[in-house]
Amino acid sequence: MSSQSLQKVKKNVSDNLHWIPLIILVVWTVFPFIWALSASFKTQTEVYDTPPSLIPNSLYLENYARVFTYPDFWTFMLNSVILAITSTILAVVTSVIAGYGFARYAFKFRHVLLMIILIPRIIPRASLIVPLFTGIATLGLLDTRIALIITYTATAVPLATWVLAGFFQAIPRALEEAASIDGARPWQVVWYVIIPISLPAILTVSIFSLRESWNEFPFVLAFTTSSDMRTLPYQLFMLRESMGMQDWPMMLAFTLVTIAPLLILYLIFEKRVVNGVVSGAVK
Amino acid sequence: MQGEQQLGMKQHIRKKRTLPKRVIPYLLIFPAILFVLGVLGYAVISGTLLSFFRYDLSYVDKPFVWFDNYIYLFNNENFQNALVRSLIFVLSSVVLGLILAMSFALSLYKVKTMKNTFKGLALIPYLVSGIATAIMFRFMFSSDVGLVNMVLASFGFEPILFLSSPNWAVFVTVLANVWHIVPFSILILLAGLQSIDNELFQAAEVDGANKYYVLTKIILPLIAPMMGIAMIWLSFASFNMFDVVLPLTGGGPNRATEFMAVYMYNVAFTELKYSLGSTVMVFILLFNVGTSMLYLKIFKASE
Repeated sequence: MSSQSLQKVKKNVSDNLHWIPLIILVVWTVFPFIWALSASFKTQTEVYDTPPSLIPNSLYLENYARVFTYPDFWTFMLNSVILAITSTILAVVTSVIAGYGFARYAFKFRHVLLMIILIPRIIPRASLIVPLFTGIATLGLLDTRIALIITYTATAVPLATWVLAGFFQAIPRALEEAASIDGARPWQVVWYVIIPISLPAILTVSIFSLRESWNEFPFVLAFTTSSDMRTLPYQLFMLRESMGMQDWPMMLAFTLVTIAPLLILYLIFEKRVVNGVVSGAVK
Repeated sequence: MQGEQQLGMKQHIRKKRTLPKRVIPYLLIFPAILFVLGVLGYAVISGTLLSFFRYDLSYVDKPFVWFDNYIYLFNNENFQNALVRSLIFVLSSVVLGLILAMSFALSLYKVKTMKNTFKGLALIPYLVSGIATAIMFRFMFSSDVGLVNMVLASFGFEPILFLSSPNWAVFVTVLANVWHIVPFSILILLAGLQSIDNELFQAAEVDGANKYYVLTKIILPLIAPMMGIAMIWLSFASFNMFDVVLPLTGGGPNRATEFMAVYMYNVAFTELKYSLGSTVMVFILLFNVGTSMLYLKIFKASE
């Protein structure tokens, strides 16, 4: 081999070196899902087979059937959906209004009030369970959806307000001025000018909030007691606790069912969300 | 006289018009402030107050005890254990997380084919709940059906009881935690990489610089602040991690994975010592304030 072609090979290799970490990334990210997915189609004895095989012997759907007919499964699903949707709508509406207020008005204590909204971002949800538990108990709201909706909304507002205020600020004022010269009232300006332009940011913020409320665990663990109030993540936790002889296939099927809705939503909006999250992440 | 009256009226009208306008921004931000102060502000203040009282189920009244809870905590060996364990957990998660996030971010930055698909894929664990993460990892590392043990067995190794041996349990928890929190730090680093001026690379190429030189002399120094932010974010997320740890190990075996947030939960809801739990909360918040200050400092320095 001539030294020239050797150099070519060398260059070729070094140009494609990034594929090694990339392949590791794909395997690292996807493998836990694939392995869980494969096991969720196996029978209870099949998971013990050695050597394990990635492809199940047959497409055994019984595990999923057992998840969907699990006592109160649809109650948990409904609770999860209600909590995620109501708290997200509340948080996004509150944050759009507040974000607009911060972005477009100069007022006394603006800075202090902005800080009050932003500082809680450094407070992790789980750390607040003790005082919130005693507070909610005093109000007699333990084991209610209201307590969860309010707390979920409150934890979602800081980040949402921050991202939206930043986005609104970047919209040229000339657009609003043009609309108000044409006789639009302030709320019309917001509704017909600001909101349509900001849809990508609103979408990103909504996904952030949905992700938090759909996956939320410490609050629902601490503030609810009856199975009527349980959400899917909480039930998954209880399932793991209650199984002496672990029924892995069914538990993994349950796990994947709880992941699926958010994943589907994410895949639909992926492009916009990824870019939104990248710019939101750095703030 | 008439003129004065008119002037007065005019002023009156103007006042009437401007007054609501001054109120508008306050009205707009009121609901957000209400949620944040009413829930988060309340929790922080009442939790801090509670840490100065003795409040648990064995006491009927709620006596004020000054710093007794804090003194008790710092002398308590379970708290000391949680602190040491947390620091080990945070340190290992940050080291492993940063190495992975950095190499993933660099390869995502470099790749041309299906860039967006890979980027979208990398973010997926961010959407998965801590419990789901915990269960998938528990399955892979379980002693009887776990893939890892089956692979080990096929090489003739004895099975390892990952979740019942203290050191291995920490290892598995770190792995699951890193899987869960790395996507977000990839995004932070990727944002840093994308902000590098392309002309720098072209100039380096013209000068005949090799890849190693470009990486160590151009890329790394330029994204050092973003690496600092990613690092702090990783340590922040790890120190507060609750959702992954509780379902994965429950803090065991023998308190080996009882990190700060799990310790707080156990103190408050297993031992039912609410005021002591609040004291741990104050400690966690102070730690977070410290990390955030560092974050701001690095962020300011980078601007």
